[in-house]
Amino acid sequence: MTFMEILNNMGVPLALLGAVLAALLSGIGSAIGVGMAGEAAAGALTEDPSKFGKVLILQLLPGTQGIYGLLIAFLTLSNIGILGGSADISFIKGLLYFCACLPMGFVGLWSAKSQARASVASINMLSRKPDQFGKSIILPAMVETYAVLALLVSLLAVANIGKLPL
Amino acid sequence: MAVLAMRRISIYGMKAQRKDVLDMLQRRGVVEIIQQPPDGRFSEELDTRTDIDRFQADQRAAEQALEILDVYCPAKKSMLSALEGRRRISPEEYGKSAERVADTGAAAYSIIKLARELEDCRAEQLRLHSKLEELAPWLELDISMELRGTRETAVFIGTFPQLMTREDILTRLAEMAPEASAVEAEVLSTQPQQTCVFVLCLKDNRDVVETALRAMGFSWPQNPGKDPPSKQAADISVQIKSNEETITVVEEKLKGYGSQREELCFLHDYCSMQIEKCEVLSILRQSRRTFIITGYVPAKNVAELEEELTKSFTVFVETEEPEEDEETPVVLENNGFASPMEPVLEGYGLPTRGEVDPCTPMACFYYILFGLMLSDAAYGLIMTVGCAIVLSKFKNMESGLKKSLKMFLYSGISTMFWGIMFGSYFGDAITVISSTFFGRTVTIPALWFVPLNEPMRLLVFSFLIGIIHLFVGLGVKFYQCVKAGQWKDAVYDVVFWYLLVGGGIVYLLTMDMASEMLGLGFTLPKLCGTVAAICAGTGAAGILLTSGRDSKNPGKRLLKGIYGLYNVSGYLSDILSYSRLLALGLATGVIASVFNQMGAMIGGGPVGAVVFAVVFIIGHTLNIGINVLGAYVHTNRLQYVEFFGKFYEGGGKKFRPFAAHTKYYKIKEENKS
Repeated sequence: MTFMEILNNMGVPLALLGAVLAALLSGIGSAIGVGMAGEAAAGALTEDPSKFGKVLILQLLPGTQGIYGLLIAFLTLSNIGILGGSADISFIKGLLYFCACLPMGFVGLWSAKSQARASVASINMLSRKPDQFGKSIILPAMVETYAVLALLVSLLAVANIGKLPL
Repeated sequence: MAVLAMRRISIYGMKAQRKDVLDMLQRRGVVEIIQQPPDGRFSEELDTRTDIDRFQADQRAAEQALEILDVYCPAKKSMLSALEGRRRISPEEYGKSAERVADTGAAAYSIIKLARELEDCRAEQLRLHSKLEELAPWLELDISMELRGTRETAVFIGTFPQLMTREDILTRLAEMAPEASAVEAEVLSTQPQQTCVFVLCLKDNRDVVETALRAMGFSWPQNPGKDPPSKQAADISVQIKSNEETITVVEEKLKGYGSQREELCFLHDYCSMQIEKCEVLSILRQSRRTFIITGYVPAKNVAELEEELTKSFTVFVETEEPEEDEETPVVLENNGFASPMEPVLEGYGLPTRGEVDPCTPMACFYYILFGLMLSDAAYGLIMTVGCAIVLSKFKNMESGLKKSLKMFLYSGISTMFWGIMFGSYFGDAITVISSTFFGRTVTIPALWFVPLNEPMRLLVFSFLIGIIHLFVGLGVKFYQCVKAGQWKDAVYDVVFWYLLVGGGIVYLLTMDMASEMLGLGFTLPKLCGTVAAICAGTGAAGILLTSGRDSKNPGKRLLKGIYGLYNVSGYLSDILSYSRLLALGLATGVIASVFNQMGAMIGGGPVGAVVFAVVFIIGHTLNIGINVLGAYVHTNRLQYVEFFGKFYEGGGKKFRPFAAHTKYYKIKEENKS
């Protein structure tokens, strides 16, 4: 087996590594984030259980990154043919898929953690000023913007790599 | 459509009618009463703190009693009871119940007393049971545990902290106190860590035996009691039984109060109303025989209120325009299409004086943006039908909740529209079902295009929507400035930006690179580019020169101008921010497809169908939940940050009329809707 053949066999593993990283990192981020927000939420609920609905929404906010990661991972898996079809892509394409998945993975991890901190602060705010729900939801949502942008880049890249003649 | 105009109202009346006038005002609920400094003869202050305290105590009692009743005779509540809203009662019913508040208050206190009694009984019961347990090892003993001896003998009744037999005790005693001759021991009960014993010896040997016993770890029992243990136990059992009976009786009594629940709810509301009235009374200006009420009233209610007041009471009513710079409380009035935006707007802040009510332009974009982010026809249908059913079933719903549901109803319709445009029905469910179970591929073609196949197209469309949204925001600012007569500001802050941003965008479209990148398929002619460049240049120059117009110093002015021009980067990021429309729209569709594919992995056949159904229901429920939340949050963000950033500050004070702010009942008005 020549070097090039070995290299070409690496296409699918590389792409898979990317897909897995997207789900893995943003999943970890969201798990940490939702956990942190959950602790704060439970604290707020001990004071006033009637805030459950509002507090739950704030807890869920850092959870979306995990879903975005799943989305990118799934799209990659289905594009590289692991979910049925022939899993046969070149080394270059594998590398491209790998790169395409990175924004979602890393930004997902970091943004979920930072968003969780904003969420925790918002939950604390809500327990003192229950009527400021609109504002409390917007502050963590600001952080989410960057996860959405990363999702967009990863999504556009993953969806279009298949069309490249490589 | 707008912020309601407010008028200042002053009502002058006789003290004899003070209560009736206040009652009427409270029932109408259209006047916000404000505190005025006392002047001249109108300086009497009414101290209502004791009354307020009394009503607050009653209210707390009613609350507690209701909580207790919820435990002992819970009312049947459906899951959706929160949607029902307050029950309506007529003024006659109100009057009847109001006569009974004293009895209801007494009932509330007796419920609380009964509950305390019950608590005491339960605590006593626990104490008795533990005492019974303590006695259990001594039940063999048929004499009092206090007995220390007879005329000739000494008796030791107590425990060793370890397991011991009779032989152990006697041998150890013989070793340690050999001089004590006639010693008898009896083991009453044994446990691994405790042996209860009865030891008998001659009176003369008491001291030696006691020392020996102590050395072995003997101790006297804690609460021996006069009677023999078995008799004590019997007594306690009787007490427990009678206690149990008391508990049942008290519980029955509490259950008997179940019918009082509605009265208690009424008492709670009655107290809220009285407290509010007392608070108002304490800020009224009064003289010996007269009083003055000052406050704000929406202009549209003035005539009706004035007529009613003068007809039923001897009062003089005066209304006047508030002064130019007066902060009047804000109340919004909008049609059915835009009113669902009011809670969203309130979440940000109500308009201050001079700002327009942005609900109508907000509503147009809100529904479009929400729909684009969710963009699935089936999800939209579920939302629309769900909200419609709830709205039609619960007509009495509180207005805030009703508005929110209406917002989701309209957003659902928009979601349906965009779903049909983009050909998404539960993602690609129709394709997956038809190919997995029926062996042929059926697709409903998108009316416009499929975003996943042409993401750039949707991205460009998102930017276009964003630009329109931002420009409408600027337009509102223009309108606001013109309305306030600030023509110059309108030109400087709005027209120049229109020229700069609009010109810049048009100029971009004349470049081949931009149109290729965005996949537009056309480039504007060069002439357009020249015109656009001139426009943008004019705008930029204008902004550079006018942004710092507040400063006198020319150097500072130029620096502020440069900073103002730098804001163009803000416009860039604002427009790019609308790419979330594409991202969230794709996310809904792709996650839905993920679940569809997962469900179809088993393949066709009955087992496959069952698995598919389960995955389908769970997956799509989850997806709707997550994406409705996402769409809601991000639509709000686009409104609050990008749209409001262009013209709106907010921070107005909400109109809080003197009214019946009740929790359970709403008093119907006979002559008003």
